[in-house]
Amino acid sequence: MNKFFNDPNNFVPEMCEGLVMANPDTLKYVPEYNMIYRSDMPSNDKVAIVQGSGSGHEPAHIMAVGKGMLDAACPGNVFAAPPVDFCYECIKRMNGPKGVLYIVNNYQGDKMAWQMAEEMALAEGINVKGIMVDDDVSVKDSTHTIGRRGVAGNFFVIKAVGAASEQGADLDALVKLGNKVNGLVRTMGVALTSCTPPAKGSPIFQISDGEMEMGVGIHGEPGRRRDKMKTADEIVEELFKAVADDLPFKSGDRVALMVNGLGGTPISELYILYRKAAEMAKARGLTIIKNYVNEYCTSLEMAGASLTLLKLDNELEALLNAPAEVPIRVF
Amino acid sequence: MANKNITLVEVEKAVQVIMDTAFENEDYFSELDGLAGDGDFGNSLATGFQVIREQWDTLPRTNINAFLMKVAMLTTSHVGGSSGPIWGTAFMRAAIYSREKDDLNLTDIVNIFDSAIEGIMQRGGAQPGDKTLIDALIPTRNALAEVKSDAPDCWKRALKTASEAATQSIEDTKNLQAKRGRQCFTGERSIGTVDPGIVAVATIMNNMNKAFTQ
Repeated sequence: MNKFFNDPNNFVPEMCEGLVMANPDTLKYVPEYNMIYRSDMPSNDKVAIVQGSGSGHEPAHIMAVGKGMLDAACPGNVFAAPPVDFCYECIKRMNGPKGVLYIVNNYQGDKMAWQMAEEMALAEGINVKGIMVDDDVSVKDSTHTIGRRGVAGNFFVIKAVGAASEQGADLDALVKLGNKVNGLVRTMGVALTSCTPPAKGSPIFQISDGEMEMGVGIHGEPGRRRDKMKTADEIVEELFKAVADDLPFKSGDRVALMVNGLGGTPISELYILYRKAAEMAKARGLTIIKNYVNEYCTSLEMAGASLTLLKLDNELEALLNAPAEVPIRVF
Repeated sequence: MANKNITLVEVEKAVQVIMDTAFENEDYFSELDGLAGDGDFGNSLATGFQVIREQWDTLPRTNINAFLMKVAMLTTSHVGGSSGPIWGTAFMRAAIYSREKDDLNLTDIVNIFDSAIEGIMQRGGAQPGDKTLIDALIPTRNALAEVKSDAPDCWKRALKTASEAATQSIEDTKNLQAKRGRQCFTGERSIGTVDPGIVAVATIMNNMNKAFTQ
């Protein structure tokens, strides 16, 4: 296992420490709860937006903490849901007069932890509500879910509610907005290799050279099928069709198009995928208003990519264009 | 304990009984789970409750709510698989119900069962008849509710009838096919096999009866 770590059990805390040391003016850290939060939070002026899922998906979500995005994140261990006390403490510490919105990807462990934390916080009079993200079109149920999984489309939910929260939207409006974005975003991914959580020390699934897992989950969960490796264009054709047919995206729609790397694929290859995806969008009559080609939601060092389409209207376009300052977007 | 309301002292003792039941029956519960599940139930419970035992002396004891809330957090985080959030939800609902209460009467306990059952169904998605611990908790709750909280010896009578009802639920559910929970992946194979979650509830109720009345 050729990886950078000291003690594999300190993978998450040492990552958090490094992140805070690199952003001393803007981020703070509560080690007991793996909690990274904006140093100017909690606030009297905005709803706090928080998320916590397994680690190993960076930059999701601790590196999406910053003005205009998340106010706090409290990840669990690699690919493990955060314990309920992490979620509860995160809600409690971020709470202000306008309340707290939590975003949870649709995985049973994450959902149970956040919903319990919500019940505990509500019992203490905290105004807290949640939204669930389930943008992955590849399979209906999977190893860790009943229903669709939440994957890279989560970024757009965070961006939209993060921007709206900065502009003063109240909790109910943010719940409505988050659900709206989730309803308009679709994703599917493909894995070319597996990945190795440091504390596990071995790959989470087996895949041979020359094979791919079409519709893979971000924890290596099985997708639609195992197939022989194909050309970049052929792979994009399948991903794009699955994603675009699902909503469906129709001629005349304005969209945001994301090609997200899963951690082990170079950005050069992501642009090869974008090239074909943009061609297909054009052929379908879609207008790409914004594009995102980078890593947003990964699976450690897994080679692979996901493709996300979000249908835009004037409201969402303005929210995507609103300023945001997070560690991964500092130039 | 005659007819007086229960306080933090009895609540602590009840949690102790639940934990001890898990420790004493670790292998037995796992064995039952192995018949139609993945065989880790006893170990999951015992491993999780071991963390509570280690922290026992430092648990908050300002009131019933604070004590049970901490137990709920530890259970949820340390009991493995979905059993953690499910058992943790029961403790959490009990904690939330006990807010601003220094003691509890039998009616309160019935209300706690109602809240816990609702919470567990919500958390795990199980319905009555799916062959999960819900099918032991509901008859236990109903048995408790039959005893009036001002009846003489109400606790003694309630614990006796509730432990009988919980025990009866093992046989009553044996021939159901599991639709949720530990056995649901084995489909028809679960028919004729007792559910370890139901057995655990029954064993706990029997041990409560012994601990508080003998």
